[in-house]
Amino acid sequence: MIKFHPNEEHLFHYVTGDLSPAMLMMVGTHVDMCPHCQTQVRDMENTVANKLFGQEQAPKELFAANDSFNGDAMLQQIMSQTPARDESRITGLLADELVLEGKRFKLPATLARSQHRIGEWHKLIGQMWRAPVQIGGEDVLTFIYMDKGTRVPEHTHKGREATLVVNGVFNDETAEYRDGDFVFLDGSVKHTPETRDEDCLTLAALDAPMQFTSGLSRLLNPFSSLFFK
Amino acid sequence: MQTVTATQLKRKPMTSSAQPDDPDHAAALLALVATEQSRQAFSELFSYFAPRLKAYATRQFGNEQTAMDLVQETMTNVWNKAHLFKPDRGSASTWIFTIARNIRFDFLRKNKHRQHDLSADELWPVLAEQNDSLDDDYALDDDLLMQQLAGYCELLPKAQRIVIELIYVEGKSQQEVADALGIPLGTVKSRTRLALQKLRELIHSDD
Repeated sequence: MIKFHPNEEHLFHYVTGDLSPAMLMMVGTHVDMCPHCQTQVRDMENTVANKLFGQEQAPKELFAANDSFNGDAMLQQIMSQTPARDESRITGLLADELVLEGKRFKLPATLARSQHRIGEWHKLIGQMWRAPVQIGGEDVLTFIYMDKGTRVPEHTHKGREATLVVNGVFNDETAEYRDGDFVFLDGSVKHTPETRDEDCLTLAALDAPMQFTSGLSRLLNPFSSLFFK
Repeated sequence: MQTVTATQLKRKPMTSSAQPDDPDHAAALLALVATEQSRQAFSELFSYFAPRLKAYATRQFGNEQTAMDLVQETMTNVWNKAHLFKPDRGSASTWIFTIARNIRFDFLRKNKHRQHDLSADELWPVLAEQNDSLDDDYALDDDLLMQQLAGYCELLPKAQRIVIELIYVEGKSQQEVADALGIPLGTVKSRTRLALQKLRELIHSDD
């Protein structure tokens, strides 16, 4: 059972396409895994569509747009085309598995469609691995894999961090996060994610470098740029 | 062939009860476009949705030409891909909104000319020609066959599956596959042969 969801604003902007590419991937992947949010998204799509296209609430601009809108030529041009079915419909064959350290992870649909964007895995600290997902845009989308019994040194973020559990379990000071859980943190939160008896594959979107805050791990600060290559 | 135009439709008296903002009527119009390429049904949809799409696009882009491009691309998809509309998943206007949303997303990125940019299809596969659910009533027979085949392919050893996918999904030649994987052409040929043989067995074993 998924306990942590994107907030309504995230979902709404996912529906309208107004989040950064990294956050769209994060929210989209959560939605793949979460029937509750699938319903929310469908409702929001209906609401937006009604607002845009509903007879009653036709926007004011419509009348202005209508004055200058002569669609006949466009209409004729479109209908002069012969609808052709695309034959390349074997998309079901797309690989939807991620193989790492001999383990196989099934990727949710959004990630499976973008599998060609997943870069090479690099070892970070201890039993922690990372692979970038190259999607363009300013912010960073990255897979992070933690083997069991791994702890990330306490850190904060200058910007915001969203984390989604793709497979497994991790804990921080406040909660336990499992498959599909979506955690959104702003710069004020310090946390120490760790895995215990299970490993954990997460997807993370970061919009500024991490700052390690405690003791010796502050030495790792230059190292945080590794997350951002 | 009838030549109903948008203008004529606009002049039509509004006494007719069914308007495209009625979900059932709009869905019926899309079905007519899908099954018999009805020009009249499409014209009705066009005269209702195109101006509204233009209002949406003008607000988004603040540019008349780009707005018209979005209208054209959206309505072209409605004409060509009406068969992909699934009434059980939402209303016609929701479907048209998601098409427009995707086109807007790609327009906004195209202008920046960046490599690796995410495409809307990857995020929201509104127009993907596939059945993503097995309980889809609208599944065509050949889609079912493709799904079964895809399932069988999953059962192949990985090396064979990769070769099959490159050849039959991506349309590469055996030589191109050999080059891409850095293996001898003979190996590609034998893997293809073994994979097809195995697929044949799997298909017959299910009969």
